[in-house]
Formats: sequence, structure tokens, C-alpha cells
Amino acid sequence: MDRNKLVKWLKEPAKMGHKYSLHAVYFCTGCGIIEVPPSITARWDAERFGVIPVATPRQANLFLITGYVSVKTLKAIIRTYEQMPEPKFTVGFGSCPINGGMYWDSYNTIKHLDKYIPVDGWIAGCMPRPEAIFVAVTHLWTLIDKEMANGYKKYRAKYRYYRANQEKVLGTLEWPPLFSIEGKDEELVKETA
Amino acid sequence: MVMRIVEIVVSPIIAFVIGIFLLGLSRKIMARIHWRYGPPITQPVIDIIKLFNQTSMSHGRLFNLGIILSLAGSMVVVLFLPIGKLHPLSGSGGLLVILYLMLFGPLGIALSGGEAANPNTSIGISRTLVLALGYELPLILILLAVMSHYRSISIVEIVRAQQETHWSLLSFPLVVPGIAYLLILPAILGERPFELIKAPQEISSGPMVEYGGKYLALATIQHAFSSFISIALFVNLFLGGSSNPGFFIMKVIVVFVVEVLINAVFPRLRIEQAIRYLWRWPALIAFAGLILVYIFKR
Repeated sequence: MDRNKLVKWLKEPAKMGHKYSLHAVYFCTGCGIIEVPPSITARWDAERFGVIPVATPRQANLFLITGYVSVKTLKAIIRTYEQMPEPKFTVGFGSCPINGGMYWDSYNTIKHLDKYIPVDGWIAGCMPRPEAIFVAVTHLWTLIDKEMANGYKKYRAKYRYYRANQEKVLGTLEWPPLFSIEGKDEELVKETA
Repeated sequence: MVMRIVEIVVSPIIAFVIGIFLLGLSRKIMARIHWRYGPPITQPVIDIIKLFNQTSMSHGRLFNLGIILSLAGSMVVVLFLPIGKLHPLSGSGGLLVILYLMLFGPLGIALSGGEAANPNTSIGISRTLVLALGYELPLILILLAVMSHYRSISIVEIVRAQQETHWSLLSFPLVVPGIAYLLILPAILGERPFELIKAPQEISSGPMVEYGGKYLALATIQHAFSSFISIALFVNLFLGGSSNPGFFIMKVIVVFVVEVLINAVFPRLRIEQAIRYLWRWPALIAFAGLILVYIFKR
């Protein structure tokens, strides 16, 4: 942890700020949220790393998808993700957002979260322990340092692809596209492949 | 003239630094009370640096102007408050001006938040204004008692009079309004048990719900200023101010730590409970203080 290195702060204040002030939006999608209260309260105390939960997406820059994502929740996730200010980081927590987990044959959950919103990192396991959140946070620091946590840039660049996938599951979306979706259908096929 | 300009620049900077330090200190002390290690004391600075580097979403012209009005109002109040020997504008206006300008903070936030049409915001704004109404009544009674005891509206005169004799919190009739001020101080600071304006678990941080990026940074800075102001006013009126800025700041920190301890152990009141409390006990005590001051005239 290089939080106390003043030279780095003077050189890259923005990057250091994003690293050490991760405000997680308190959004509970599934059973995984049960691991979050111990990690933010007295037992594991995430606040010492600057990670605190906030109540609204406008103030947040870290999005933990905790547990299975039903189709109905996916809509709320997309709206929440689009409201967060950039740069924003998403972490899939548990095996369900990765590949469906134990809900792999469910008719009502989605299997691969990264088809619908970009995900910067995964925490595998069912359930992952609260310590795994801290491991994920340190990995996220490394990614931010190397400028590899660029999911929000990917969302801008490939918005057409994500929007098409969202519409495939949710039908017509009630909100207008966030970015431009101009382009030909053949490109979409290429992007998908 | 040059000295006055330097003072006008320096005293908001002191208030800003101390206010941010107080925010960090409160988070650390709260963490230690919860048996946690807690964030570094510089965490609010890190947060503000991050917030200024995020994209931010505006909801209209009044959304931008309101938050600036709120911040500017708080900065102007600092100019009227003596910080040790620094009192750039205290010669003009005194306590009456402070009483008016202190309302700019909540009003600006209300104007700004109202532009974002969010139901949580409107609940938060109504709570902000009702709570301001709640603590303004005892506050006016307290200030009336202090002003009529020292026969002056100038806060510099009041500080000087205290330094010649002793602190007003330790002198007989003024101890009563002093206690009343301590009772309403959490409400002015917007901390528990009067945290109902923000109430993150209940109305998703109230008026701040649509603030992100720069706006949240400005709101945080405004909060830092208003914390400093309400405690500095108490120190000036009841703890004798100080001729030395360092000593003054120490007094501010001590009072703030007491407030943080109250904040750490109390639950949140509902808005009607808060008003019932504020208009009953602090208002009654302040009124009793005012009458006592009239009976025991100097």
C-alpha cells in the first residue's frame, strides 16, 4: 500500500484518489450481501482502506454485484451502473455472476454478468469470505495503478454491444441510450464474436 | 489595509483546514469507539481529491448556484468570527449578521437539492428547513441573553469582556444559555441524535442524494466550514475565545471531540421528536437564561 507516499500523490493525485477512496454503492442483489456487513463493521473494518458503503449511486465509484442476478435485478443494476460517475469499477462477487453458479439452469437469472455491464474483476467462491473482498480491493488497486481497470471506458466504446445484450434479455428498455448506438448490424456481430 | 486583506484571505483558509481536520478526526474517533482501526485522519482530503477528479452530473442552473451560495455563505460567516486575534470583518455587524448568514448554509443546500427532482431530496430539504427552524429559536434566545448581558452586539467586545473577567460558561447567569447552546449544538452540526437530514439508511443521504463528483466535494467542504463555524461561535461566546489562534483551535477541537462522543452513542430522532425536544428543553433553558440575565443585571 503506497497511501503515505507523498511523491506519488503529487505526481498522480487523481489515480491515488481513486485508489484509496473507493465508495461502494450499497446494493444487495443476492445472498452475497451477507458478507458485506461484517467486512464494513468492527470485525474486518473496510474503512481503514478507504472503502465505505454509500447510499446512492451518484456518490459511489465501486459496484459490488453480490450474488445471483435475476432478470428483474439486472434492470436495476444497469440503471445504477449508468448513474455512477466515472471512473467506476465493478466487481462480481461470488460464482453466480461469473457463470450462473448453482443457478446455471434457472430460467430467471442471467448467467454471465459481463455481457450486460463491464466487470473489472471477479471474486470466485460460494460464498467468498470477507477477506476475499480485501484481496479484491488490493487487486483493484493494482489494476488502477496499471490503468487496466477501464471497464467504464469499455462501456463507452462498446455500448452498442452491451445495449443489444440488455435488450435481448429485458425486451425494450424504458430509458434512452446513454451513448451513441449508431452503426451497422454487421459490426455488432463482429463485436459479439 | 493590507493586514485586513491578508486576514480576509487567511481566516477562511484556517477554517477550511481545521474543518477538514475535524471531519477526519470524527471518523477516526468514531472508528475507535466501534473498536475499529479506522481510516487515516487524512481520509476526507483523499475523498475530496477523488471527488474533484470524477465526472459530475448537473441538474440545472440552480443546482450549481445553490451549492456555491451555501459554500460562499459559510465562508462569509468565518470572516465575521474572531479566530484568536484574526477578525477581519468583526467590527461591522457582529452577532446579528452571523445569525442571518448562518442560515445561508441550509438554504443554499435546499435550493440546490430542490432542483434535482428526487423524492428523497425533497424529504431531506423539508427536514433541513424544519430542523433549522427548530434550533434557530433557542439560538436567538441564547444570543439575546449574551448580547444583553454584555450590552454589545459585537462579538469582539464580548470576547474582550470575557478575557478581562472569566469565561461566560463559568459565570452565573450566562451558564444557563451556555448549557442551552451545548444542547442544540448537535442539531446545528447535523450530527446524531439530529442526523435526520442525511439519514443514509432511511432517505439515502437526503439533500445530498443527487450530488456526485464536484458537487459532493463542495458539499463536504461546506459541511467542514459549518462544523467549524458552529463550534467557533460557542468558543467565542462562552469559552472566552482566545488571543492566540493556536489556543483557540485547541478549544474548538476539545468541544468537537465532546460532540463526536455524543454522536457515537446516540440513535437518531425522528423529525417531530427533534422539534419537540428543541422547542421544549433548550428553548426553555435559554428563555430562563434570558430572564435570569435581566434579573441579575450588571
